[in-house]
Amino acid sequence: MKHTRFKIGFVRGSLLAAFLLMITSWMYIFSVEDADFLRLFSEKNKQFTIEFLQNLAGIGVENPAFTNAESWKSAAVLSFKTLVMSVMAVGFATLGMLLTVIPAASTAASGMLTLSRTRYGWFIYGFIRLFYTVSRAVPELLWAMIIILILKPGILPGAIALALHNFGILGKLCAETVEDMDIRPVRSLASSGASKPQIFLYGIFPTILPKFISYIVYRWEVIIRTTVVVGLVGAGGLGHEFKLSMSWFHYTEVALYLICYVILVFLVDLISEGMRKIAQR
Amino acid sequence: MTASDAITIEQAAKRYGGLQAIAPMSLRIKKGEVVALIGPSGAGKSTLLNMLAAIELPDTGTILLDEKTTSLYRNPKDLAKKAGIIRQQFDLVGPLPVIHNVLAGKLADWGFWKSLWSFIFPQEKQAAMKALERVGLSDKIYDRTARLSGGEQQRVALARLLVQNPEVILADEPVSSLDPARAKDIIQILVSLAKSENKTLVASLHSLDLAKMHFDRVIALRDGQIFFDRKSDTITTEDLTQLYQLTEQKQNAT
Repeated sequence: MKHTRFKIGFVRGSLLAAFLLMITSWMYIFSVEDADFLRLFSEKNKQFTIEFLQNLAGIGVENPAFTNAESWKSAAVLSFKTLVMSVMAVGFATLGMLLTVIPAASTAASGMLTLSRTRYGWFIYGFIRLFYTVSRAVPELLWAMIIILILKPGILPGAIALALHNFGILGKLCAETVEDMDIRPVRSLASSGASKPQIFLYGIFPTILPKFISYIVYRWEVIIRTTVVVGLVGAGGLGHEFKLSMSWFHYTEVALYLICYVILVFLVDLISEGMRKIAQR
Repeated sequence: MTASDAITIEQAAKRYGGLQAIAPMSLRIKKGEVVALIGPSGAGKSTLLNMLAAIELPDTGTILLDEKTTSLYRNPKDLAKKAGIIRQQFDLVGPLPVIHNVLAGKLADWGFWKSLWSFIFPQEKQAAMKALERVGLSDKIYDRTARLSGGEQQRVALARLLVQNPEVILADEPVSSLDPARAKDIIQILVSLAKSENKTLVASLHSLDLAKMHFDRVIALRDGQIFFDRKSDTITTEDLTQLYQLTEQKQNAT
């Protein structure tokens, strides 16, 4: 009888590796970095935290912002602007993605999807994919800083910055969806005499639509959270005012903006969840 | 060559790299003939059907579809009127309702704007309805195609072919993923449609019973060559044993 040698294998190996990593990481944190968690909870830090929370809650503050109708009104306007910025951003990103996604799929470049190979197919594919990579490699914050240098601060540059970063991400995700598509229905449409636009309408569009929608609303969720980050560098909306209030020590305003922000994120999550359910019924 | 030939193959051959898929062969199929194509896996059945559908062209020799060389069918819309191919049920667009998959057979006749309009408000519903009635699916006209069973999906594909209305119907293993009862059902519909509309039908099959029972003529392929070509009632069990004999056994015997 043949003797089978003991093999570690992939699952057992990765479990072992994870275990080793955990031990060495904690050892590094304690011995090399000399971390002291107790120091985080020192009397001084505790005092600061309590003071900050009291300021946020408006204890001992005359006329805190969140009891003031006027402040609520301006916060609501800001929230709406932020929402508009996020919708614009996801709209621009989607538009850019839709215009480029088909030639950015390798199945289209090789001629498998469109059933006709062109000499420049791979060239366009490489060009768009490079464009995607560059645009998503630069974070939203950097895009915002660059664009605000060119345009005036406001909602539009914020939306463009967010759109640029998300265009690269959406493009990659959606192009991969197109690549993973079953091409048998497409070939069959072609052999029953459908032209390219007809093939796109009847074969490709209905197949990829649910996935596209779920990617787009997912990126929208991310974008609404990131609006604050680009706001910090002057792109308008809640994030911008948040930063100003912070630097003027208007803590009750900070609290008000945080409340608005949480409501906004919650709202967008709710809508996107609903859209995803409809798309994948 | 007589005027009634639907398909004429003259010394056509096809090679994929080192593999001779179709050795030079000649064949004639008359208009209105109902032909089964049998043979072991890899015998060249799919290649032959793809060449008949002008999806692939022979390396040497010619294939005439209604007296015109397949390489001359430049316009896919003209070709769709001459030959239509049905494969396994994976050829339908799953998320679309049944009616759109059936009306896809009309895309060759429609321009882009009409197809766009039809995508929202289905056009020529009567034609789709009639086709679905003939395959017994008129109650599922607005169902999502992916929700139908395998047999039902293949009926939808048949209805699409009816709407497309080509002169030659090619079927590439149309029932290989169905159970025997559904397979028999689909073949029955396919053959009766072809006969009542006076269409030429060439179908590749793995079920010899179906081939013998429903088809007039059976062409057997083996290693890219015609092994026999006979009327279906003259085929004996011995012919079939020889056809499907594994190569290893053949080598042992000689």
